[in-house]
Amino acid sequence: MHKTMETDVLVIGGGVTGTGIARDLSLRGVQCILIDKSDLNAGASGGNHGLLHSGARYVGSDPEAAVECKNELGILKNNAGHCIEDTGGLFIAVKGDDEKYIADFPGMCEKSGVYCKKIDPALARDMEPVLSKDIIAAYQVNDASINPFKISIENMNDAVLRGSQFLSFCKLIEFKMINHSIEYAGIINENNGETFQIKARTYVNASGAWAGMIAAMAGITINMVLSKGTLLVTSKRMTKRVINRLRKPTDGDIIVPGGVVSIIGTTSIRVDSPDHIYPTINEVDQIIDEGGRIIPDLKTCRYIRAYSGARPLVSEGKIGDDRSVSRGFTLRDHKMDGADNFITITGGKLSTYRLMSEKASDLVCWKHSIFSKCLTKEIPLPSTKSGEWSEPGMMATEPGMSKNFNDPILCECEMVPQSAIDTIVSSIKQAGGKPNLTSLALRSRIGKGPCQGAFCSLRIFSHLYDSNVLKDHSDITNLKGFLNERWKGEKSLLWGQALAQSSLKEMIHSGLFGLELIENKN
Amino acid sequence: MKINKNTDCDILVIGAGLAGYIAAARAADLGLKTIQAGNSSALFLASGLFDLLGVFPIDSGKIVTHPYSAIKQLQSDQIYHPYSKTTPDQIKKGFQFLASFLDSAELKYSRPGANNKQILTSLGTFKPTYMVPETFSKGCSLDEKNLLIVDFKGLRGFSARQAASGLGRKKGKIHTLTIDLPENNGSLNPVHLARSFENQEFIQRLADKLSMFSGKADIVGLPGICGIHNSLEIVKSLEKRINMDVFEIPGMPPSIPGLRLKNTFEKKLSDLNVSFLSNAKIVFHAMEKDHFILQAVNDNFETRIKARGVILASGRFPGGGLFARRGIILETVFDLPVFQPETREMWHQLNFFDAKGHQINQAGLETDNRFRPLDKTGKPAFENLYAAGSIIAHNDWTRLKSGTGVSCVSAYTAVNSFYKKNV
Repeated sequence: MHKTMETDVLVIGGGVTGTGIARDLSLRGVQCILIDKSDLNAGASGGNHGLLHSGARYVGSDPEAAVECKNELGILKNNAGHCIEDTGGLFIAVKGDDEKYIADFPGMCEKSGVYCKKIDPALARDMEPVLSKDIIAAYQVNDASINPFKISIENMNDAVLRGSQFLSFCKLIEFKMINHSIEYAGIINENNGETFQIKARTYVNASGAWAGMIAAMAGITINMVLSKGTLLVTSKRMTKRVINRLRKPTDGDIIVPGGVVSIIGTTSIRVDSPDHIYPTINEVDQIIDEGGRIIPDLKTCRYIRAYSGARPLVSEGKIGDDRSVSRGFTLRDHKMDGADNFITITGGKLSTYRLMSEKASDLVCWKHSIFSKCLTKEIPLPSTKSGEWSEPGMMATEPGMSKNFNDPILCECEMVPQSAIDTIVSSIKQAGGKPNLTSLALRSRIGKGPCQGAFCSLRIFSHLYDSNVLKDHSDITNLKGFLNERWKGEKSLLWGQALAQSSLKEMIHSGLFGLELIENKN
Repeated sequence: MKINKNTDCDILVIGAGLAGYIAAARAADLGLKTIQAGNSSALFLASGLFDLLGVFPIDSGKIVTHPYSAIKQLQSDQIYHPYSKTTPDQIKKGFQFLASFLDSAELKYSRPGANNKQILTSLGTFKPTYMVPETFSKGCSLDEKNLLIVDFKGLRGFSARQAASGLGRKKGKIHTLTIDLPENNGSLNPVHLARSFENQEFIQRLADKLSMFSGKADIVGLPGICGIHNSLEIVKSLEKRINMDVFEIPGMPPSIPGLRLKNTFEKKLSDLNVSFLSNAKIVFHAMEKDHFILQAVNDNFETRIKARGVILASGRFPGGGLFARRGIILETVFDLPVFQPETREMWHQLNFFDAKGHQINQAGLETDNRFRPLDKTGKPAFENLYAAGSIIAHNDWTRLKSGTGVSCVSAYTAVNSFYKKNV
């Protein structure tokens, strides 16, 4: 007999949208269980620029999205300020860029009500000295940077506080359908192999790029177009502000500061599956070459890592550039597809995650005949302790840092002390997750500095054994998994100092410890 | 103002990793006037274990028990590997030289025998290796014994429980103990902790704590931090006080056993009048007749060096002997041709732990059988330029567990052949 859990709503997918829905519904008194086959932000929510768009990027291609971005920016700055750095942004054109687009830009912004102010190219270079000398036009906009990991952690933490639940590494394996409705969801816990069932009134598919696969389990077809975007992380912050290339959106034209680093991207490559995507050397070279047009230092600076996300876009049947497929979101009530208690929310973008969550939650409440108002516009997102360590450059001097001197720093690149690891471990345990290097890495900056886990992985790993969080020698495969996850983001960027660092990592982990000789679990 | 100096020598050794030190040791041993230049912190990263050939064939993941017979196999399978340019006999002679050199400087290693050892690491894995410091050697045979593993609160990266986790099927009992020292204020600096071991009072305090396991444990494993100098005596003195065997366990850098090696080499080489130019960048200028003219530059001095022979033991990427730009790998002192994969796509595998290893680790200098780097035409680039250690191509030492063996035989052979030809 399988274990069965019951809840009002089962949300599938632990990205920004799923966690946003869990919080939104929890605030309205609707209890949720959120499951993810991996962990928080394992998909596109963890694989993006961390850019909170002012809307200016979309004024030409998608004015509706531009307006949504503008509105959401205002709400999030007020309500989730601790996850946002209000950097401001610039749009920059260089010699050779499309003059018509440049000329039309202010008018298009005005039409969407998106703020933009023309400034002198010389002033732009005063504001951001790394900018190219070849600037021919510059506009100031309201872009900001947002920490997507923190947003998801905080949303989930608040939902949990209000009675909802998060189950990581729990993968949907089936929907049991009876009379045009889902009777229960069959789930497997990937940590221990146990299967169980969740019975809910409504099932919400918020699985982003996986939405097509999840819908298919209920016999429903959604035509997803998956577009891989690759981004690079520099070892130092290049600019104070978000820098956009002033042209029709294409590859390598956004640089977003995030704490002590900058993130540069992106590309757009059609992929068949959101699983196992990774940055390629071609993409990396292309991003560096394009980015180098607006910030020449990008051609010579050190990079820490590259990563990719799969943008979940819903095809409207047109053929062409994936960037022209709407970045607006899709919310579908599957009643019309023969599943009464099932909805899908996908597409969209990080900047509008709150709005997407609101609309999805409205639909759920409507289906439950609950007449309630969305509260996420008014009630600020609380800041919790376990969310703090996801912040790039969270340093020993900042508030939140343990005042206890008896607290060794385990990750020296990112200054993460042992007490922070302990805090995150207990929050993972409370959520029923499995604390290990992989789950810690999704909730903190460990392994994200220049050493890319060479040293901190060993220090944290031995601390986990020491504190009895890990016991079996077989858990050593988690160390391998963690290093391989880091590796995916390093391998396309290995030259110069970064190559020396990664060789050193191989000397320790393969040369001394022989990790390559250990069989992987399953 | 920088100090300008002129100096000359028989042999200039570029590099201060194990290969550089062994080359300098052999050169000094043969009475050659020797200068060594390099970044002296490299050995902090060395585990202190001497590998010969621990895994072969590379993608089989098979642990080698009899390294010399595996080397014979390797010589017929991989004709470009540095071991294929020499003989098992020569390799063994190199190790014998290394062991007796260190021995004469009071750093005792196990003898170079016929077999590999399997040593427990701090991660709980077993590493195949060839020679270990005497202080480690009792950790290579733990099977029947009742064992106590000790860690220190605040010594990061070493957990007794973790090391013990790897001993699952061991027959004897396993105990663990954490010692909280009063000197621990958050984290313990491994160098400071190692120095504490040189204090008799500290050893007695430690012995008092360990003695509660007397009768329960036969042997005690400690992290590799039992003193910087005289570690063997320290371990013996602890053994005497607690009446149990004691051994050290290798772990992550910074490595005290590596520091012991560095100190031992430095001291003995300076006794043998080898001069050391630390943290200097070496620039090659020209050949003047049969002599190399090079310059050593750092913040304080510029030294013009005239050398009859050069041993290039500058390492791979971490050592700075090779440098990779976005698309090409270069040799940094002589701009020698570097054997390398054709494109950057081929440098690395998708899986960090791919059994075959990464192709970039095959990159390096091609040499003749005397370890002289070759030019584009396949002839020795210079009559008296030799390569030693990891800069030599076709040598993925992290996967084959063959780092010290390659360093040792190439350095030993290179210096010998320079000597034979020129003296």
